[in-house]
Amino acid sequence: MFLGRVTGTVWSTVKWPETRGLKLLLVRPYRLGDLAPGAPAVPGAEPSLPSDDLVVCADTLDAGPGDDVLVAFGHAARVAVSEKLPPGSKPNVPIDAAVVAVVDRVEI
Amino acid sequence: MIRGTVLGQVWATRRARGLEGQKLVLVAACDAAGAATGRVVVAIDTLDARGGEDVTVAFGSGARNVLRPGADNRDLLCDAAVAAIVEGAG
Repeated sequence: MFLGRVTGTVWSTVKWPETRGLKLLLVRPYRLGDLAPGAPAVPGAEPSLPSDDLVVCADTLDAGPGDDVLVAFGHAARVAVSEKLPPGSKPNVPIDAAVVAVVDRVEI
Repeated sequence: MIRGTVLGQVWATRRARGLEGQKLVLVAACDAAGAATGRVVVAIDTLDARGGEDVTVAFGSGARNVLRPGADNRDLLCDAAVAAIVEGAG
């Protein structure tokens, strides 16, 4: 899982039929430097850059832009969205990232 | 698996079913020298890891095996879990 900030949404009409109705969000993963701004000159603690990859993930918790979320990958993502999918399609959908929690607070 | 340092805890009220009741820790990944790489992951913690402790984090089916070992654990919502609390590395 990773912690990220929702930056936007993605929509499409041509897609795997069983994923119709699933909302897709764009999430920017937090790097160490984003969690402790102005923190020590730890190598690697630079904040994320606009050129960093964003992750597209399915959302069943109604998160929106500006929310901090946890995103799970792989099979765990399909488990998270399985309730929203038609019966019988559960393990086979082309989803590999999903919002699994909307974060209230990070305690460091 | 990766080695990392626990930064703290993540609190979330709105969670997917299957993640309820799990303690979630924020872990800064380490490189070979033990320095932070900048990558941060969130893992389910069943070992009661504390801030500042070094841990290993398992991903994928290895992470599910931390919560419930066996072949019948594919119903678990878990893709990262604290697998060990590290005492030393060289």
